[in-house]
Parts: sequence; C-alpha cells; structure tokens
Amino acid sequence: MTTATVTAPRTVRSRNPLWTLTGYEIRRLVRNPLFLVVVGFNAYAIYDTTSRVIFEADELGSIPAWLLGGMGMIIFCWLTQSTWRSAEALDVTPTAMPVRTTALCLTAVVPFGCAVLSLVAILVVRAPQGSWTYGVFDGADRAAVQVSQIVLPALGGPLLGVAIGRWTRQVWVGPAAELLIAGWVLLVEGLAFSYPDSQPVLLMRLFAPFALFTGSGDRGDFVETWRGSPAAFLAWQICLCALAVVAALLYQADPLLRRRLIHALFVLVPLTAGCYALAVTGGLQHAVTVVPGFAPRPS
Amino acid sequence: MSDTVALHAVGRRYGRTWAVRDVEVELSDGVIGLLGPNGAGKTSLLRVLATSLAPTTGRVSIFGWDAEVAEQRTEIRRRLGYLPQELGFPRGFTAFAFVDYVAVLKEWTDRTARHAEVRRVLDLVDLGAISTKRIRALSGGQRRRLALAQALLGQPRLLVLDEPTTGVDPEQRAGLRAVLAEAARTSVIVLSTHQTEDVAALCERVIVLDTGMVRYDGTVHDLVAAASGRVWVGDDPDPRAIASWRIGSGRYRNIADRAPSGAEAVEPTLEDAYLLLRAEAAHPERITT
Repeated sequence: MTTATVTAPRTVRSRNPLWTLTGYEIRRLVRNPLFLVVVGFNAYAIYDTTSRVIFEADELGSIPAWLLGGMGMIIFCWLTQSTWRSAEALDVTPTAMPVRTTALCLTAVVPFGCAVLSLVAILVVRAPQGSWTYGVFDGADRAAVQVSQIVLPALGGPLLGVAIGRWTRQVWVGPAAELLIAGWVLLVEGLAFSYPDSQPVLLMRLFAPFALFTGSGDRGDFVETWRGSPAAFLAWQICLCALAVVAALLYQADPLLRRRLIHALFVLVPLTAGCYALAVTGGLQHAVTVVPGFAPRPS
Repeated sequence: MSDTVALHAVGRRYGRTWAVRDVEVELSDGVIGLLGPNGAGKTSLLRVLATSLAPTTGRVSIFGWDAEVAEQRTEIRRRLGYLPQELGFPRGFTAFAFVDYVAVLKEWTDRTARHAEVRRVLDLVDLGAISTKRIRALSGGQRRRLALAQALLGQPRLLVLDEPTTGVDPEQRAGLRAVLAEAARTSVIVLSTHQTEDVAALCERVIVLDTGMVRYDGTVHDLVAAASGRVWVGDDPDPRAIASWRIGSGRYRNIADRAPSGAEAVEPTLEDAYLLLRAEAAHPERITT
C-alpha cells in the first residue's frame, strides 16, 4: 500500500470541466444497456416498416417518440438519480450542481441525434401509399409534424428525465411520469377519434409533449386530419424543452443563477402559453377526412 | 493566503437541538483527531468544515476564504478532500470509473493526467489491482478505501475524514495510517474516529467533543498524561472505578482515582484518558483531582 506514489502529479485542471463532464456522461449513456436496447429496437422498428405498407404518416413517428423520448426520459431520470447516493462527496467538489446538470442536458444530444437519423431513415425507407397518407397537410405542416413527432420528443423526454431526476430520488418516478404522459396521449388520441371537432378535446390533445395530428381507419381506407397548428405545436414543444432545462438547473442553483432562471421563467412561461394558444387556434378549424381517390371532406 | 483553518464561534442547530455549539478552533498542518461519543456533533462539525453544511452561527475561514461566500467556497472546494461517514456509490460503476468521475468533478480535465492520478490514489489505498471490478462486488472494507481514494485526489490541502478506518482490517489500517501521515506533511487532516488507537498513532493534536462543545483541545500527550496515576491493573474489578474491564490476562483494568487493593499502576493509553475525560464530564462529583 505504501509503495504507491504519495505525491500527486502536477494537476492539469480546467476551471470549466463542462465539456469533459459532458463527454463522460455521454460515455455513461452509450454504455447503458437499456439505452442500447432502445436504440437497437428503434432501428429494427424502422427497418421493419420497409416490409409494410404505410397507410398513415403518423404511424411511424410514434416509434422513435416512445422509444427515444419516452424510454429516453426514464433512462435520463435514472442516469441523473444514479449519483445521489454519493451526493455528500460529489456536492463538495468545485463543479457546481448546475454545471453537472448542464452536462446531463447536453448529453440529450445523443438521443436527439438518433432521432434525426430516425427521421432521415423514415423518409428514405417508408413507402407511403400516396400524399393522402399525410392527410391534408402541405409540405411545411408535414415537416412540422415529422419534427414534432420524431425529433423533438427525443430531446424533450431526456431533458424532462434530467429535471425529474434532479428533484426526486425514487426510481419509480421516471417510469410513473412516462406512464402518465403515455396514458394521457393515448386517452386524448382516443377522444380525438370519437370527437374530432370538439374544442375541449383539441385543448386536451395539444396540452401534451407529444400529439398525433392524423388518424386512419383500420384498413387504411381513409385518413382524418385533426385540428390544430403543427408549427405552433412544434414551438410549444421547444418551449417545454426549455422549461425542463430551467427546472433542472434550478436544483441547487446559487442565488444569482436562481434569480436569472426565475427571470427566464417570466419570459418562458408566457411564451409557452402563447405557443399553446396558437397551436389550438391555428391550423384547420374542422377535422377533414381524406379518402383515396376522393376530394377531402369535413369529418 | 492563510495556511490555517479557523472556526469562530461555530454552531449548528437542527430544529431546536444544537449539534455543535460555540466551537472555536484553529487548525494547521498535521493530523487532528476528533473524538467524542455518538451524537457528540463530530459529523456535523466535519460537514461544516467540508462546506457540506452551513453553520447556523459563527464563521468558517479555510485558508483565508469564507465558506459562506459562493466564489470563495469554490476555492475552498478546489483544495478539499472529503470522506463522509457513509458514502454510497452509483450503480454500475467500477472502482476506477467512480474515482475518475470524481476527478472530473474536481476539474481534472486532461485525460492522461487524470487517469494517472486516479491510478495513484487507488494504489495508495491498495485497490489498484481490482480497479476494474464493479463496486457492488467489493467488500465493505474495500468500499471504505475506495471512498477514501476519492478524497485523496489531487493531494488536497484540507482533508476531512469521517471515520475512515471503519470496517478496514488491521493491516490495511496500518497502511492507511502511513498514507495519512505522509499527506499530513503538507495538508490539514481532520479525522473523526471511534478508534483511539488511530488517533494515538497518527495525531499530535486531539479535539474531544461532547454534546456539541469542545471538551478538550490539546496534544494527545497531555491528554494521556492527565490520566497518569489513575489506571490500575488488579485481580478484581474496582466498584468505585470510573471504568473497569477484564483484560486478556484475566486481570482487571480499572480507571480510578485511588488504587484498588493489590492493584498496580500502569501507563495509561489514549483510550483510558478519553474514558476518564468522558467520566469527568458525566459525573464531575466522582472525580477527585
């Protein structure tokens, strides 16, 4: 034991270990078995679509959303919570908690990157039956739907996971939050099928971090386009991501940073509310059904 | 920059209970032992020293920096190594990965230098050979040494150790003493323990806490000297003794003011002196000076 060098080598320290720490967290993430399973399953699910006929564009977007976004939220929550047992030693290191939180938030670039690749893969491999599979959305709205369904959840889910992981220590909270969100999205989707023109259903459907904008018949004989603005919904999702980051950074923030974050909330919260208002008031004013070979008609 | 760690009238309260009261000490290089019964406030005092806990009253100045000021607290933390009483570990980490993670948080950003430092501290606590083992596969003593390794990173100027040798076998404990004795040449080491032999072996200075207050602050030699002539070994236990217990030879070691009949005086140990001090605090009427 005593034969080891007692004197430390000259330290090569940086006052900002953020990037080193981010690299460390990324390595932790990509070695996480659950994350590897999620990424593998996501890739398989997209590959599997090449052998199927796609009747509705939304059908594919939900796969990366549930896997990279939903499961990503649980994984990031657990990743964040994993160090709390050592908190007493880690919290007295010179790297402040908000820097550690920022590193975890930056790590979300990995699932985000996976989602971008998923979007590219979906655009390349899927074989939609025709433009009617997108409902009545034009190019810009289609792009907004795809980014909001495939890419943004893979960023927002992990960021929400970091926020939950910072403020809670119970491992069941992440999965419970995922079940809550999934349950809500499925519930409002079911309601949207039954009441496509209902204003309360529209308000509920878009009051979520993920929303479907179209629904199709079981045999793919029609696609129903629901109300709401996909572009504004995308903006609402981006605001939710920012809110998750602020919530995460507030944990153990020093008074100066806390004040700045609270000031940021004064801007972010109204902005988020505004985006939500635009999402529910913009877009189609009535649900529209498209049947292949026929002109679109109100549902 | 000051070389000392100073606590001025430091107190820490939890609800209505004072864990630490009016502690006024100044610490400089060397190993300072912190003794006291359970609940004496040792851990609270160490947490205050480690900037993990803010004092309710008083001021903590570490190498001239005020622990209450955020920027200065960061400067303190750049020079701090802290081993908490109970340190848990993240799941799935190897011994190396855990210390490496702490090293990153201690601003070791250069990978090569960091890994060299991690290997150095793991070797110091004799875990170099099993550094790739998962932490959950390590024994309790090995985990304790791993916890100590993270505190030793970067040869901190202030090393705060809460019961570092708990669960460590005698051979490893001797090794750790050698490591700490070497580190004490350039560092202030504050060591809380229930093992008086560790204090006797390592520390020149000892602080005894009782009900949150400093009961004794001085050299180990002086504390032991105060018990001189009050420790006896006889064939029977002394009913008037402050403490009396059967020793390996079958005779009885008594800590008493007067010699029991047929007993002979022996050299006191730090443990004898500590027990005497505790008894004086608990029953001052029983002590004749």
